[in-house]
Amino acid sequence: MSQKNIRNFSIIAHIDHGKSTLADRILEHTGTLSEREMADQVLDSMDLERERGITIKLQAVRLSYEARDGEEYILNLIDTPGHVDFSYEVSRSLAACEGALLVIDASQGIEAQTLANLYLALDHNLAIIPVINKIDLPNADPERVKGQIEEIIGLDRDEAILVSARTGEGIEQILEAIVERIPAPEGDPQAATRAMIFDSHYDQYRGAVAYARIVDGTISVGDNIMMMSTGREFEVSELGVFRPALVAVKSLGPGDVGCVMASMKDVRDTRVGDTITLVKKPSSEALPGYRPAKPMVFSGLYPVINEEYVALREALERLQLNDAALTYEAESSAALGFGYRCGFLGLLHLEIVQERLEREFDLDLITTAPNVVYQIVLTDGSVKEVDNPSDLPAPTKIEFIEEPFVRATIMVPDEFVGAAMEICQERRGVFGNLEYITPERARLDYELPLAEIIMDFFDRLKSRTKGYASLDYELIGYRQSDVVKLDILLNNNPIDALSCIVHRDKAESKGRNLAEKLKEVIPRQQFEVPIQAAIGTKIIARETVRALRKDVLAKCYGGDVSRKRKLLERQKEGKRRMKSLGNVEVPQEAFMAILKVE
Amino acid sequence: MGVYVHIPFCVQKCYYCDFYSLVVRNQTEFQLVASNYLSSLRRESVFYRPKLKENVFQTLYFGGGTPTLLPAADLSELVSFLIENLPFEKEIEVTVEANPLLDLADVEILASAGVNRISLGAQAFQDHLLRALGRTHRAGDVFRAAEAIRAAGITNLNLDLIFGLPRQSLKEWEETLQKAVALRPTHISCYGLILEEGTPFFHWHNLGLLKFPSDDFQARMYTMARQSLKEAGYEHYEISNFCLPGYRAKHNLLYWANRSFLGLGAGASGYLNRVRYTNLADLNKYWQSWLQGKPIFSQREKVSLNQEMDETMMMGMRLLDGVAEEEFKGRYGVSYWEVYPAEIENLSQRGLLEYKDGFLRVTERGLYLENMVSAAFLRGV
Repeated sequence: MSQKNIRNFSIIAHIDHGKSTLADRILEHTGTLSEREMADQVLDSMDLERERGITIKLQAVRLSYEARDGEEYILNLIDTPGHVDFSYEVSRSLAACEGALLVIDASQGIEAQTLANLYLALDHNLAIIPVINKIDLPNADPERVKGQIEEIIGLDRDEAILVSARTGEGIEQILEAIVERIPAPEGDPQAATRAMIFDSHYDQYRGAVAYARIVDGTISVGDNIMMMSTGREFEVSELGVFRPALVAVKSLGPGDVGCVMASMKDVRDTRVGDTITLVKKPSSEALPGYRPAKPMVFSGLYPVINEEYVALREALERLQLNDAALTYEAESSAALGFGYRCGFLGLLHLEIVQERLEREFDLDLITTAPNVVYQIVLTDGSVKEVDNPSDLPAPTKIEFIEEPFVRATIMVPDEFVGAAMEICQERRGVFGNLEYITPERARLDYELPLAEIIMDFFDRLKSRTKGYASLDYELIGYRQSDVVKLDILLNNNPIDALSCIVHRDKAESKGRNLAEKLKEVIPRQQFEVPIQAAIGTKIIARETVRALRKDVLAKCYGGDVSRKRKLLERQKEGKRRMKSLGNVEVPQEAFMAILKVE
Repeated sequence: MGVYVHIPFCVQKCYYCDFYSLVVRNQTEFQLVASNYLSSLRRESVFYRPKLKENVFQTLYFGGGTPTLLPAADLSELVSFLIENLPFEKEIEVTVEANPLLDLADVEILASAGVNRISLGAQAFQDHLLRALGRTHRAGDVFRAAEAIRAAGITNLNLDLIFGLPRQSLKEWEETLQKAVALRPTHISCYGLILEEGTPFFHWHNLGLLKFPSDDFQARMYTMARQSLKEAGYEHYEISNFCLPGYRAKHNLLYWANRSFLGLGAGASGYLNRVRYTNLADLNKYWQSWLQGKPIFSQREKVSLNQEMDETMMMGMRLLDGVAEEEFKGRYGVSYWEVYPAEIENLSQRGLLEYKDGFLRVTERGLYLENMVSAAFLRGV
């Protein structure tokens, strides 16, 4: 197949705007899958992804399409994750394309992520095909969305294709538009090989598998390749394309999208954004845009049962094979014993890892409240990075502290602008801009501390805006900030795993609310449990979990023996999932309680 | 060993009760159902007869339901049949649970058949609380019933009382205790209300229609009962049970000692040869099964020796005497100090358990937190 008959594209959309269903229909229509073969939403292959309705790992599928011009085309569909935590991965997969379908829900209209992804796509000079989806829904208003496309995006409203991914209407038009409007890949087959890795995954038998887009030159089975960021070399054992099952190919040339297998040990050998070249004729210049995945949010993961520490390490090792963005480092807590400080791209990434550890590896975990990385400038002029409240130096040694800030873009219907601004102000936001993209839809720009974003910001924003607000954010750097460490004492013992770093102005109210929240989640036990919140040596709040007065069954006769035993065993099992700190039984949720308080 | 017979008939279901029973609406129909049921009970007792050693039973207990809803003659006939056909000792305790709507003639018939202990479901002495419980009797009926029972020559009388009811004040509970004590029954059971799944109370609680007192308030009521009954000369011998000296409920003691017992009737449980079983709680299926001469269970579980040890500790902790070291050792050939060293140490340190004069027992504090104590002895988890 000649290079001019290749089209590389992705689908970008706000979450829930129907990207996966649309991908399914395209696969079906091009005969890549018969209807019968299809499990719904093929591209989201992990169970977890399907349950959460998001795409974590991107994949590429090769479609064959005979266009109306009578020619056969190869359409490579490169899937992108739909969450801000994974925006770097989105940018890499867009960099592998020449065009993108911009999917907009016919009733919802343009959302924050639609725009964020669109800007990314425009950054990569992609041809944009606007697609208005879900036109079959009763409240669909394609004309209004067309208006938005013209006003907000600046595209011709007539370029928009009206589609119902559910019924299949409009799919043919999309395929024609891909052929007509998206340019064929450029790239010199004779030049030194350069291929960009836009995703990777770990396969039990093949090792790390790199998903790559060939830009220049070719890669063939048996070639010795080199990763340009690390200089590591491997011999290509297999090349493949997905249709959507893996089909082996002998070589990949300019414009091709496929996967490269070369007995690579783990996904850190196949870093997203890296450039693959050939050892025998290396390229002198890597493709632009590579940056190592950098975790933004840190949290301690501890086994509830200390003996599971080794099992946790093994599980993290296994997950990391498949998740280059996950980092972990052994740490210990006076309260929780041995565990791991783990780095994540964001809160969602954290939740996914935690859930996979519990579900796939059957571990009971305590997750401590997430933290950003603070830069601590010490009085002696040195700088220390702190991602764990316990590591914060004594106040006398600190000259000042800096914390990461993001620029947040919030899109919200007119009636909720006030609510959205209010929550941004509460979260120490610095107002940037308010712009009405349509008469009824506003776009808000705020600069916010990342620490505030990871504290349940999005959920709260959604609940205060009846679910209408959408959010996107990007890191804009570090700023000086007056933060302090808030400690929690249970039974007069400081519990390091419950400490958190908060802004001084909010420390008192946070302390009070946290103590109250802990009182709710810590069950009554045999002894009274005093809960105190402290800043330094100053106690700012005190609550008491009163002692359990009565825990006994009034009636217990012959027929109740089994029932009583089962009841007590259930209670005991529940207790086992709690962490015993001193003689206080603390449930898992207590360690995340800080997320639930203002 | 003892025999428990379940009589699953009621005029009306009390709002807190989750025992199996059928509400009787039509007398003719009831006659038929009751005679079928009695026939099944006879078959069931005969079925177990060959599996039992001589003179193994010391107690016979009729619970419900409302056993006294059966015509007194029928119930008496059943009592006589069981005593004749099952291997009872000579002197036995025969208890019948009764609704306070009793008359002298009926009690006399029961007494003549050998019934020597009546357990009256008094529950409270305020009519508004009795109504709120769904009880059919009123406070005055309890006095009349007690009089009839004694007139018939039965002196061993228990009163069941409930505390922790919606809108029940401490004052009312005090009054109930006083009135109960004034009747001088040999035995008083005081039960803190339990919200059992499937009962109207449970449902109304979930809907927020009824407010139930907190555990703390229940604990206060419990303390009040312990104090005032002690002052009146009653011995507190089990979490919810009090008696005049020498009148501990022999049948129930078997349960707390985790001994074997035969359970007869639909929905009844039994424990024989380390098998715990529960008969199917379905009158019709129960009857049909005994037409074929076969038992029908809803649950059957073989209890291992270790599990039985655990359960012996769990049940024994309900007794204020606790579990005797010698008895445990005699029964299992091993001392509880060897089986539960860490558990006993931990509970003692927490002030929930104490060892005294050959008995391991709950402390005053442990009495209120008996679940914590019992749970520690369950090694399955």
